[in-house]
Amino acid sequence: MRKVAIVGIGHGKFGIRSDASLRELAFEAVKACLDDAGVSLKEVDSMVTGIAGDEFSIALQPSAQVHDYIGFHPKPNFRVEGACATGSMAVRTGWMNVASGLADFVLVVGVEKMTEVPTSVATDIMGRGGDATWEYPFGTTFPGYYAMIANAHMAEFGTTEEQLAGVAVKNHYYGSLNPYAHMQKPITLDKALTSFTVAHPLKLFDCSLITDGAAAVLLASEEKAKAVSKKPIWIAGLGLATDTMRIGDRKSLTSILSAREAAKTAYKMAGVAPSDIDVATVHDCFTIAEIVAYEDLGFCEKGEGGKLIQAKETYVGGRIPVNVDGGLKSKGHPLGATGVSMAVEMTKQLRGEAGERQVKNAAIGLSHNVGGTGQVVAVHIFRRE
Amino acid sequence: MSAGPDRSSPSTSSGGSSMDFRNFSLAISQTKVARFAEDLAAGKIMSTICKKCRRAYYPPQADCPECMSSDMEWKALKGEGSLVTFTKIHVPPEHFAVRQPLMPFSSIQFEPCPIGLLEVEGGLRIMGWIPKVDLKKIKVGMKMKASPQTLPDGKLTIVLEPI
Repeated sequence: MRKVAIVGIGHGKFGIRSDASLRELAFEAVKACLDDAGVSLKEVDSMVTGIAGDEFSIALQPSAQVHDYIGFHPKPNFRVEGACATGSMAVRTGWMNVASGLADFVLVVGVEKMTEVPTSVATDIMGRGGDATWEYPFGTTFPGYYAMIANAHMAEFGTTEEQLAGVAVKNHYYGSLNPYAHMQKPITLDKALTSFTVAHPLKLFDCSLITDGAAAVLLASEEKAKAVSKKPIWIAGLGLATDTMRIGDRKSLTSILSAREAAKTAYKMAGVAPSDIDVATVHDCFTIAEIVAYEDLGFCEKGEGGKLIQAKETYVGGRIPVNVDGGLKSKGHPLGATGVSMAVEMTKQLRGEAGERQVKNAAIGLSHNVGGTGQVVAVHIFRRE
Repeated sequence: MSAGPDRSSPSTSSGGSSMDFRNFSLAISQTKVARFAEDLAAGKIMSTICKKCRRAYYPPQADCPECMSSDMEWKALKGEGSLVTFTKIHVPPEHFAVRQPLMPFSSIQFEPCPIGLLEVEGGLRIMGWIPKVDLKKIKVGMKMKASPQTLPDGKLTIVLEPI
């Protein structure tokens, strides 16, 4: 297998983007990415597009809109889908193309336009990311699933609502420093704790945002990477794992076992341990999800995730800075774009280009991207050299 | 495939929405385990068991991935066990909030009702509504029983009650 590097990154503004269509959002990220790489589209061999929902874009093949609009035809474009993990699965698919020798340059673009449908409809579409036959009849929503994880975690480990809110405060703080974030203002613990209940015990500020946005990365073989980039960032480890469709069938309701499995594979492939990670982006679709991610990735012991945020160990300067780009919570969560945005952020951090949010001398980064409630999870490890 | 006892609910599926999917009724159809709905209407929550390897399934499955056999038998569940987790969803999916004139166990257009996951015999887990217990009194680990319930409009669902 060949080594694969990220040699270009592009990120559009996340938010309610009623000013732009799906394909126009993709164009923004693609253009920024190619400019960053100094590579023209003519040199790119193939493309992978991550879009999670046909229902948001009301199109059968929204990825064709994207390759058409950026003028990529007649070259190959693969569409990838894995609910909220779509973006990381697109990065992984791009990696496979380069690692196998099929392509030297692969453009990976993740995009989603979620706000053209009303929030209640978006909630409905995402609720069916659970089991539409057996869970949906109980009015389940995504916040509902994670609320059940939260109640189980609180009962077993004594995790508190204040600890959950602590994740929101941290991520909104870093979102306020990220010009691409959907929400760019800090919040107080009190504001988070007194916001209305979405699904007990999760409140408004425990939930990530319904967001439009796009992100892109250009992947290259070792030879091409060294030719075009002074600071290639290497994809050193990848893990992908799956779990049951229904949350009720999980062996654990306080852990996402597919995340543990994916992390184990990625750590092994990269030859690193959790303690080697300098900075991470994790899937904080809900605050409880970030706390569970700390534990699943080995950043702390099982049940200790609440204490890790309480001690502010996941801020810049702490033991393991997590989601210092604002996370899904404040940066926003345009499903197909999220995993690609994670790769963009890790590249920025490892290049030393994250500005105020920079983790000093970050050399190894990790991204953790959960599809649904863990039906599919992708973990990637990135290295500076 | 045979229709469940209450598939006719035209008021909930019309409206020209691009989304026309099942509501909160468990009247499943177009599946090899559709008899589940008829048994539920008759007051039984059914599981399936693989005749070859004896693995039990709830929700019922027509096929056993453990040994790839499709030779299954049906068995009613007693439905008693302990609560694994729960929530109360205040912001409902669009279909529930807008298209339903009434939520189950509610007297107003939308009044949230807690739901929970009960672990019963054989480690099987049953999801159900918890209409009769105040949220503050619902605790992980509490002993409950799952029972089928037919709602006034004929729809079928499952409720969890303390024992």
